[in-house]
Amino acid sequence: MEARLRLDRKAWLLLPAALTIGVAFLLPVGWLLSRAFTDPQPGFQNFELLWQRPVYMRVMGNTLWIAAIVTPVTVLLAFPVAHLMAHGSPQMRRWLIFLVLVPFWTSLLVRAFATAILLQRHGVINSFLLGFGIVEEPLPLLYNITGLLAGCVQVLLPFVIFPLYSSMARIDPAYMRAASTLGASPVRSFFRVYLPLTLPGLVTGATLVFVSTLGYYIIPAMLGGARQQMIAQLIQDQIATFGNWGVAGALSIVLLGATAVLLLLLQLTVGLKEIAR
Amino acid sequence: MSTTRRSLMAGAAAIAATPFAARAQGANDLKGTTVVFASWGGAYQDAEKVSYCEPFAKATGATVVQDGPMNVAKFRAMAGSGSPDWDVVDVTGGFLEVAAKDGLLEKIDTKLVNVGRLDPRFVHEYGVGCIVWSYNLGYSTAAYANGAPTTWADLFDLKKFPGKRTVLDQPVASLEVALLADGVAPDKLYPLDVDRAFKKLDQIKAQTVFWTTNSQSQQLFVDREVTMGIILNGRVYDAAQKGAKIALSWEQNIQAVDYLVVPKGSKNRAAAMRLIDTMTMAENQTKVANLIAYSPTNLAAVKDVDPKVVPWLCTTPDNIAKGFVMSQLYWRDHLKDLTERWTAWKLA
Repeated sequence: MEARLRLDRKAWLLLPAALTIGVAFLLPVGWLLSRAFTDPQPGFQNFELLWQRPVYMRVMGNTLWIAAIVTPVTVLLAFPVAHLMAHGSPQMRRWLIFLVLVPFWTSLLVRAFATAILLQRHGVINSFLLGFGIVEEPLPLLYNITGLLAGCVQVLLPFVIFPLYSSMARIDPAYMRAASTLGASPVRSFFRVYLPLTLPGLVTGATLVFVSTLGYYIIPAMLGGARQQMIAQLIQDQIATFGNWGVAGALSIVLLGATAVLLLLLQLTVGLKEIAR
Repeated sequence: MSTTRRSLMAGAAAIAATPFAARAQGANDLKGTTVVFASWGGAYQDAEKVSYCEPFAKATGATVVQDGPMNVAKFRAMAGSGSPDWDVVDVTGGFLEVAAKDGLLEKIDTKLVNVGRLDPRFVHEYGVGCIVWSYNLGYSTAAYANGAPTTWADLFDLKKFPGKRTVLDQPVASLEVALLADGVAPDKLYPLDVDRAFKKLDQIKAQTVFWTTNSQSQQLFVDREVTMGIILNGRVYDAAQKGAKIALSWEQNIQAVDYLVVPKGSKNRAAAMRLIDTMTMAENQTKVANLIAYSPTNLAAVKDVDPKVVPWLCTTPDNIAKGFVMSQLYWRDHLKDLTERWTAWKLA
């Protein structure tokens, strides 16, 4: 009680960060969102437009669908890496952390270009496959869903690996030994003991991936194809090409709403408290 | 008293009657005036700075400050406020029509800008064309060594000219190309037969990579990702300079213009107009063409351009005859709806 009080008195420490977020984030974002209801005139005309023209909701659905594919793929790839990081030798852990962090420090644009170089028709992968006679025609890996997935997953992997690692590192190995002493097969003890204990990290990571993917702009523009149109590209078009802040604001609200609903569902099923732990 | 007044009036009339060139030499009369010039940054704005702004500053004594990059939302906010920070802005033809309609621009003062120097196709009531660029059929010379494609129809002929295509990710120019390929004459294009255009585009959709930035269109050819497509003349030039096996056809090239405009409420309207006048001079336009290979709107500028650059310009006598200027007025009224339809078409 005593300690808590003393901490609360130091709440002013939050002030610089709170001010920065308020001025540089909440104010402009709030302004953009409010234009949805005021631009060009007060009312709901921007939302009506989104409803009347099917293309907007199709792109919204498309965006959710892409995020729903990216998330499980990223989690599946991250899981073994995090596992090795948590339970391997200290040397292995240092190497893995380093290897995961290096791309994390690299600019998103550079990584998207690198992915394109790897996947293009005369790129590294296709040259290899053609050279060894594995395929006769270059595989279409770029400017379609494959390219988009590769781009999103490689950029977002660290966002799952690190939360998973921190959950896994806290799992006491004695639990697994106890499970096997009590007769559980390795598979059973994994699913009944290990996996549930990683859930907080897994859900945090998956949420980060899902929400980040919803807002992706550069990756779909550079690596996706005609069908991989995402909502952020439409928002950008509305502002940069048409100066139409109202529709851009309305699209942002729909995106924000969809994200909020998903987080709420998560709260109801897994519990955000569990994640924060 | 009255004589003095009369002689003053006569003097004023004499100044008004002085031809443009002579008046421009009235050196240093703008000393102390600062004109803010905004454009698209990079090598292009550098070329404009050297070719328009510096000669203007030298002749008039004005100071020209460079700013930018040009941004539609920013321009709107500025001109809407009534006291813009920018005095002269380089804008696309598409934005010029929208901004003129929305009352965001000052009318061009033809007493201060000698628009007669330019080809009339590149002069607008609210803006003066500074450069022209064109959408062309670009192709890989390696892929089509035995017979190059020449017409827009060839872009859609996957049998005769197999290979991946690239088309810009917007209806502007893409729909025109589809209709030209389908046999519509340039003077019968507008208003566009949109259904027919999309139907034509369906033929190559599965083989097409859509480009969103000009550098991407160039890169697609360099990486041999595509073998033919719609691409700007300047980008083919740049790729060819860097050693890519690429060439272009001038058949029915579709021309678009960048304009210099003065935002509504500019505090230095007269000085801004005179900067625009400096841009219209042939020798200054020659400099831009030599620096960045963009095509002049003053056709007299072409003859002094580096002979290595001339074949890439869209306003040489030959190329201007083969091409036509895109209707920005049509796009002003249809861009929003057709962009929606374009997105829906891509998703379908």
